[in-house]
Amino acid sequence: MESKDLPIALGTEKVGKLLMQYAIPAIIAMTASSLYNITDSIFIGHGVGALAISGLALTFPLMNLAAAFGSLVGVGASTLMSVRLGQKDYDTANKILGNVFILNIILGLAYTVVVLSFLDPILYFFGASAATLPYAHQYMVVILLGNVVTHMFLGLNALLRSTGRPQKAMYTTLCSVLINVILNPLFIFVFKWGIQGSAFATVISQVVMLVWQINIFSNKKHFIHLKKGTFRLQRKIVVDSMAIGLSPFLMNAASCVIVVLINQGLIHYGGDLAVGAYGIVNRVVFLFVMIVMGINQGMQPIAGYNFGAGHYDRVTEVLKKTLFLATGVMTLGFLIGEFSPHAVASVFTTDKTLINMASEGLRIVIVFFPIVGLPMVTANFFQSIGMAGKAIFLSLTRQLIFLLPCLLILPMIFGLKGVWYSMPAADLASSVISTYLLVSQFRKFRKPVIV
Amino acid sequence: MNEKFVINIGRQLGSGGRQIGEKLATRFGIAFYDKELIQLASKESGLAKEFFENADEKKSHSIIGGLLGLRTNISNEVYVNNYLSNETFFKIQSDIIRELAEEKSSVFVGRCADYILRDHPRCINVFITADTNDRVKRVALDKNITREKAQEVIEKTDKKRSEYYNYFSNKTWGVAESYHLCINSSVLGIDETVDFISQFVKQRLK
Repeated sequence: MESKDLPIALGTEKVGKLLMQYAIPAIIAMTASSLYNITDSIFIGHGVGALAISGLALTFPLMNLAAAFGSLVGVGASTLMSVRLGQKDYDTANKILGNVFILNIILGLAYTVVVLSFLDPILYFFGASAATLPYAHQYMVVILLGNVVTHMFLGLNALLRSTGRPQKAMYTTLCSVLINVILNPLFIFVFKWGIQGSAFATVISQVVMLVWQINIFSNKKHFIHLKKGTFRLQRKIVVDSMAIGLSPFLMNAASCVIVVLINQGLIHYGGDLAVGAYGIVNRVVFLFVMIVMGINQGMQPIAGYNFGAGHYDRVTEVLKKTLFLATGVMTLGFLIGEFSPHAVASVFTTDKTLINMASEGLRIVIVFFPIVGLPMVTANFFQSIGMAGKAIFLSLTRQLIFLLPCLLILPMIFGLKGVWYSMPAADLASSVISTYLLVSQFRKFRKPVIV
Repeated sequence: MNEKFVINIGRQLGSGGRQIGEKLATRFGIAFYDKELIQLASKESGLAKEFFENADEKKSHSIIGGLLGLRTNISNEVYVNNYLSNETFFKIQSDIIRELAEEKSSVFVGRCADYILRDHPRCINVFITADTNDRVKRVALDKNITREKAQEVIEKTDKKRSEYYNYFSNKTWGVAESYHLCINSSVLGIDETVDFISQFVKQRLK
């Protein structure tokens, strides 16, 4: 929540201008975090090899899951922090900061210990083969050892945002990406540390920014800072934050399960390079998805406020503009992916087979991109106007409900291509459902009924 | 007593808290705010009354509620919080409570007013309970329902209120530590409880 909680501008300023104002910082921040994995993939692909990309791709669900655990605390704590700051209750706010600090250390260490103990079996289950395991293993070991740092980095970033310093949070993310970009080629090409070099680059970039974050939070002049006595875990803070964070955590865990299933299908029907191909496709798709998610975040306050105030015309306007922008972005991705997939894949690797597989996969996966902006925006739209149930349902249709059965059935009919087909199939299904829900909602706008 | 003061009434459902609050306000000649706060919050913020009514004294996130996605965020990274969240409504309402307390002496019923005004130099926080029988009778009469239904409503409402209070304040609902005075209205009856509390207030404000 911003310090003036309801800027009246949301109800009066031009919608287009507001959308840009809110969306651009969100877009920058969200694409920045997707650039992490893209940079790693690019340097590993060119510096280590095609199998290494497959190894890296196997680790994505583990890394997502780690981030999900981080947000289990971070998202909830941010909300709690906003409430306390709104009440100028700095004592409790500081306790929240201290608790986040400690909780992230505990969760981070726990995750590291558990996953490290079972790393190889987990990786095999995720679709590793004898050839790709060493790469995945080497990469994950370093990432896991640095997991505590990742947790704390993400958690403190969330608190930077909720304590009114969103620019600092954005700079932190951007700087860590930048450091990662510099260190990656250094470690891989110059020091020749192989795939581990990339992992070290990621961890070190986060360590550096964590130090900076701790420095910010140690500044006693700011009313929220780390102080003695706040590090004792308080049941209320822990339970309340996790209760809030549980929902995004489960969504994230669900998408990890999906990626694992996809990789299992790919390794079964297509082998290691298929896994690597999906790794590349996934990173490219993710970039465009992040941009759209940034636009959605921009839409949220505008749609929410105007819906609450009954300005349905402005709600419609912001929805239309967001749909337009989102569809535009996804269509751009569609055009790039369909007309020059080889060029895209070559960014990540020089291996001819891998390039071909990735191109083929990319072409299939993005075939419904021009319409998939609709379900993405619609889900977020329902969330903005307080209908979280519909929002979650829509997200799940795209990410789980249709994807899961498709992944189990289609490969049996089409083999490897079946795995690729599942994704656009889910996109299509969720687009249809979103259209239905959106149209019925707009009929309700004639007689405003608040759910 | 020409300096402003505030009386905050926490209450179990059916304990007569609202009545007592109204009578105290009349007794001292000061303002009284219960559900009126919703109207004010709606007017001040421009958001529809229904949102505030739905959010009134209800916490937004229970663990089960989290699973069903009641007003939660889907994505990991939250750059802009949901405006239509219970947290926003609470903030708006709490700003209004603070403004009102600064304007004039008032009685506030519920809504974590005692937490919101914790830095107010002249506030008296009271918690009102009553014998279960009296509560059931009162609620059954008031809402025109059976005694069994009233019992259910009481349990549910108390649970909601305590979750709300515990979430938004830093204290615990219904626990003696959180208030200056806890009193069972069945012991003296409504009117004499009002007398008793008035005496307490007068002495406190000396």
